[in-house]
Amino acid sequence: MDAILQAIVNGTLTGSIYGLAALGLTLIFGVIKVINFAHGSCLMVGMYAAYWVVLLTGVNPYVALIVVVPFLFFFGYFLQDIVIKPVLEAQSDVREPTEVIIVTTGVWYILDNLTLMLFGAEYRVVQTSISGTSFELGELIVSAPKLYGFIATIIVSVAVVWFLNSTKMGKSIRAASLDREAASLMGINQYRVYNIAFGIGTAIMGVVGCVLIPFYYVFPTVGVIFDVKCFIIVVLGGLGSIPGALVGGVIIGLIESIGAQFMASTWTELIVYVVFLAVLFIRPAGLFGSKLDW
Amino acid sequence: MVVSVGTPAMAKEKVIKIGNILPLSGPSASVGIQGKYARELATEMINEAGGIKSLGGLKLENIYVDSKSDPTVGVTAAERLINTNKVNILSGCWNSAVTYPSTQVAERYGIPFIVPVSVRNTITERGFKYTFRIAAKDAWWTRDQFGFLEDMKKKTGEQLTTMAFVYENGDWGVGMAESWRELAKQYGYKVVLDEPYPSTASDLTPVVMKIKKANPDVLLLTSNASDAILLTNTMAEMKVKTKAVIGTGGGHADPMFRKNCGKNAEYMFDVVEWEADLNKTGIPELNAEFKKRHGYDLAGESVDAFVSVFVIADALERAGSLDPKKIREALAATKLCSGPGMIVSYDCVQFDENGQNINAGIVMVQYRMIDGNLERVSIWPESAARAGYEAIFPMP
Repeated sequence: MDAILQAIVNGTLTGSIYGLAALGLTLIFGVIKVINFAHGSCLMVGMYAAYWVVLLTGVNPYVALIVVVPFLFFFGYFLQDIVIKPVLEAQSDVREPTEVIIVTTGVWYILDNLTLMLFGAEYRVVQTSISGTSFELGELIVSAPKLYGFIATIIVSVAVVWFLNSTKMGKSIRAASLDREAASLMGINQYRVYNIAFGIGTAIMGVVGCVLIPFYYVFPTVGVIFDVKCFIIVVLGGLGSIPGALVGGVIIGLIESIGAQFMASTWTELIVYVVFLAVLFIRPAGLFGSKLDW
Repeated sequence: MVVSVGTPAMAKEKVIKIGNILPLSGPSASVGIQGKYARELATEMINEAGGIKSLGGLKLENIYVDSKSDPTVGVTAAERLINTNKVNILSGCWNSAVTYPSTQVAERYGIPFIVPVSVRNTITERGFKYTFRIAAKDAWWTRDQFGFLEDMKKKTGEQLTTMAFVYENGDWGVGMAESWRELAKQYGYKVVLDEPYPSTASDLTPVVMKIKKANPDVLLLTSNASDAILLTNTMAEMKVKTKAVIGTGGGHADPMFRKNCGKNAEYMFDVVEWEADLNKTGIPELNAEFKKRHGYDLAGESVDAFVSVFVIADALERAGSLDPKKIREALAATKLCSGPGMIVSYDCVQFDENGQNINAGIVMVQYRMIDGNLERVSIWPESAARAGYEAIFPMP
């Protein structure tokens, strides 16, 4: 029984971090209707940024957020502005701009291989003050870096929801995501909104980078490991749904950790896909997805 | 159709082409790149010493193809290197899963294929004429892991009864686990956990939890670099205690592992073919040169790659021809015992009729903190142990 309780705790914590990674993707998708294949690479950029800041200054990874998050925000902002916007403009009369998928795939390859050239293929881990520390509650062991990751997820999610609901910019973003043409007619500059939304989605990857650094390694294709997970979580939770991303992430985390207690861990992936398909079968729009067609 | 335009007066200098298929990106990239560096260093040394003298001083040239650890890519690369690049010899592929089908291609075309590292038994058990392996095979690695444990039981009187196997679910890990199961039965261990896991897992905490729950005396691991790092750090976090943790080279021998695990890896054991503290002439100088170029030490994988180039050069020298059949004959008759290439723990490279290096030997090392640095110290067999060191068993 102890093992199961421990598995639930681990699964929830790890899952919340998956959820945070998926949050950025779901936000970008919800607003711009762009399937961002460079999402994992943005996560990788976030991790490298966090890695270098921590390594060069020796600060606590959570202090590194001050540098990493703005850097990632502008990285996403200009990525959208310079690379994706021209494609969106060229396809402005198309309902679902498919070329954008190809562009983001290109960005993914360029980023990953550029990193490979710059920093080499090696795995890098930075020893931070919180690496490998854990809290013991009787028999239960709670990994400190993951607990902080869980807390960061809650804070970021609340902040994003508040931003979307209560600020003028947030409302513009929601308006543009509901109906881009109507929003343009109301005087909302849709491309600026897109830049901001993409920037926020990418900035969240900066938070994920700082959260992962204490217990995870960085290498150029680290994004690929999280990529598929993020996509599954986003679809499972419902496209564009913030609670969906979090709940979806925790579900995946729980399946992985509890499932592994009863079978070889290579099988848990299968369970993840089975649950994923089952949910889609029952609720095609995902757990929190709206029935409205995107 | 080939049209030559403006043929220069001098014939274009010919080279001997070696086609290398290696994982240069993806999860095994780090070892693949180390293998590439080692080949470059060896090739440079041979070329500077005047190339292959029996062929009028022809130089060696390496062509590298990234296998991405993918068997299909490996096979395509082998085909392309043979047909398009017209290579004289192939080498690679580190991942057993890639080596296995790629050597088949070479066999079909009759092009010699040198396998510096890939441990799957069957690679040299198919009666192939053109495949030559430098490294020891699976069965020998596991044989020595158990041999070491038996020895420790005798020496320390420690009771070891239960065992856990945790291994990556690729070709290599699964092959190792098969040998482990047989040996565990033979030596009377009770297997309390037999757990494959995907090397690219984003979280190995569930696996570590299972190890903790099973509470084995001995934990045997086969991991790539990334998962070895993750497992070791998570085990420290989750406070898992066993009497012995034994790795199987690969990830546990990767210089990155040492750098990234620090104190968490202290007292862990690992089987390797080679260690920098071996008593062989030339090792310190060569290691210093390698470190100067790339910033880290040579490791078992890179040494086998290094040696393989000298084996190729030696065979070419004796063949005196670029005919693949003649090169193959020369390789089969290899008995390389000296020269700058021989920095291995054994005396000579010799191949049996299946192309397996019969002398490939294994050393057991233990991670130890020495003056604040984590070092790999050779501790077994005692003849190969670093002066003044012996195994600390069980792990404190």
